[in-house]
Amino acid sequence: MDRRSAVKGLLIFAGSVAVLPSCVLEEGKASIPLDHLDVSAGEEELLAEVVETLIPATDTPGAKAMGLHLFTLKMLDDCYSREDQQTFMTGMTAFAELAKEQTGKRFTKCSPEQRQQVVASVNTRQAPEEVLTFYNILKGETIKGYLNSELVMTTLRVYELVPGRYEAYYPVTAEAQIS
Amino acid sequence: MANLNIDSVKARTFDAIVVGSGISGGWAAKELTEKGLKTLVLERGRDVKHNRDYPTTNKMPYEFEHRGQVPLEIREKEPVVSRCYAFREDAMHFFTRDSEHPYVQEKPFDWIRGYQVGGKSLLWARQTQRWSDFDFDGPARDGFAVDWPIRYKDLAPWYSHVEKFAGISGNSDGLAELPDGEFLPPYPLNSVENYFRQQLKTHYGNRHVISARCAHLSKPNQIHFDQGRGQCQNRTLCQRGCPFGGYFSSNSSTLPWAERTGNLTLRPFSVVESVIYDEKAGKATGVRVVDTNTKEVIEYYARIIFVNASALHTNHILLNSTSARFPNGLGNDSGVLGKYVGFHNYRARISAEYDGLLQYATAGRNPSDGGYIPRFRNLHKQETDFLRGYAAGFGARRYQVEDRSGFGEDLKQQLLNPTWSNWNVGSHMMGETIPKEGNFVGLDKDQKDAWGVPLLRINIGYDDNDEKMIKDYLEQMTEMFTKAGFTNIRATDSKQAPGLDIHEMGGVRMGHDPKTSLLNKYNQLHACQNVFVTDGACMTSTSTQNPSLTYMALTARAVDHAVSEMKKGNL
Repeated sequence: MDRRSAVKGLLIFAGSVAVLPSCVLEEGKASIPLDHLDVSAGEEELLAEVVETLIPATDTPGAKAMGLHLFTLKMLDDCYSREDQQTFMTGMTAFAELAKEQTGKRFTKCSPEQRQQVVASVNTRQAPEEVLTFYNILKGETIKGYLNSELVMTTLRVYELVPGRYEAYYPVTAEAQIS
Repeated sequence: MANLNIDSVKARTFDAIVVGSGISGGWAAKELTEKGLKTLVLERGRDVKHNRDYPTTNKMPYEFEHRGQVPLEIREKEPVVSRCYAFREDAMHFFTRDSEHPYVQEKPFDWIRGYQVGGKSLLWARQTQRWSDFDFDGPARDGFAVDWPIRYKDLAPWYSHVEKFAGISGNSDGLAELPDGEFLPPYPLNSVENYFRQQLKTHYGNRHVISARCAHLSKPNQIHFDQGRGQCQNRTLCQRGCPFGGYFSSNSSTLPWAERTGNLTLRPFSVVESVIYDEKAGKATGVRVVDTNTKEVIEYYARIIFVNASALHTNHILLNSTSARFPNGLGNDSGVLGKYVGFHNYRARISAEYDGLLQYATAGRNPSDGGYIPRFRNLHKQETDFLRGYAAGFGARRYQVEDRSGFGEDLKQQLLNPTWSNWNVGSHMMGETIPKEGNFVGLDKDQKDAWGVPLLRINIGYDDNDEKMIKDYLEQMTEMFTKAGFTNIRATDSKQAPGLDIHEMGGVRMGHDPKTSLLNKYNQLHACQNVFVTDGACMTSTSTQNPSLTYMALTARAVDHAVSEMKKGNL
């Protein structure tokens, strides 16, 4: 198996979101079952492009292929309060409008450069509060999902488990600053 | 029919019954079965077999749906257990749910429970420090509770006995207040922990930082291999159950050992409703059990009974064991059953940073959790406006941190190339509380659980002594941190309710005098000598050390006494 297909194989697990046959889910709705959130297919696509802008594919996969937008939805659906969920949804709509204002296009139709411009403004807090709340939740969960993914933990920043060790005086040299 | 009944009684008769399979019940089972007694161990929860029933133990972080986080619905439904640091997605299944097992809180009390074979021994923090005579002398010297009927010399050989088997890593530190034991190699202090140790030596002389002693096999001996256990792999995923048996639990150690003698009968799903007292014989004859699956009430009989149901449940069972002779609970002639409950005061913590020794970090994980500061306050004499004192944890760590401020390829680069943080240092207090009559548990008059047992009412709170001690801990630690050159010092009082320390103790205390205590110096009920209590309920005072090791030693000692008394025909 070459590296690319090996990585692809890992991806199904990376997001750790069950992929159900589409017939189970309502047409035009998100591709994963959600108990509290009402997310459309279009909104899911928007989220996919935002997380891809946050962590893009390079020589290693990006957030969209890793399903981190779906991971965010799963976390939001199960672990956040109703209030946070509502703020997220309102903020997502406001974000979409902001993107349209800035570029004249829907975010998903924007070029990668345009997407980066939109995200750059939100990332530097030049956006309404509700957009920032949405963005902070999405970015936080995307990073959590990324760092805790199989891809990262087994190949990019290896999670060491067994055999274990404890080195109480581990020397930190300049090179060791980067693990 | 008559024969059937006789057979049935025979099948339900053992030499010994142990109520509970947690850390002390497991020890009772091991010692009793090794001495040849046919022993029935009753556990209210389900069975948890070593390895077979550790469903999450080998899971990677990404295999947890919520990456460890407990979903909101569960947190809202189970507010008490959700406050426990170890109640996470990976170990939720080993914790008892508030909603399924209610109790009455007259004052806020976070009762953390583990209803399963092994009990909380699967989940404990594995810290194992011996008591000294500074602890056993405490009540007599400082005039609270009652005098302990034992001293360090009574327990010392039994500490050695349980340490050798359980496997305790630690350093011989030569401190009178924290006696040395039978140690496997210690987990070393790191550079900043050692630095702080030196600083305390320089500035105070009598304040020490030692490697925390813990029940981990840093270097197993043959006795541990014989148990089927192996070297601790420093995974620090202990709360899931350890496939290596790297830390001590009933499941990995005492229970399988007891099973191998052929003398153990383990019965899960068995809530002990009460201990049966025979008025004519003047002793207990057995226990009444409710099968939690069938609701059937079954009696089991034995010559001796060890009640190791966990501190508060042992109180619960004895309070519910009423008879004409003991209308207020088994052995309760004194009226002190359920009273003088103590716990450990864990409310205060302090954290800071240190920007020295940056040529070092640590690699891997330290299962001992770092350093331990034995009690230094009021040790040799009373020197503050509060009684007793506190021990403290102390740890120093550097984290691999990512700059998360950007986005795009920059962010990705940052996430994959972390840098070392400054040293983060932290400490938490473990304060002795003074057992008082007003801190008590009792039975609810109206409400019963699913098995017809009255609910436990818990009335336990902090007092002025605790508040003064918190203030002193924060002041002293701030001073020590300042002298060590730590910066950005943050001192906090979590105001957490008692119970969350998971060190509740007492209610069935030991003492010389049957008028003021329940148990004698061998943990026998003064008034019903074939019933033994060797879990947290027996504790006369709480001291500051994590108590499990002392329960283990008390249990082994009590079993030795019980069996020798049986041989003499006294039991």
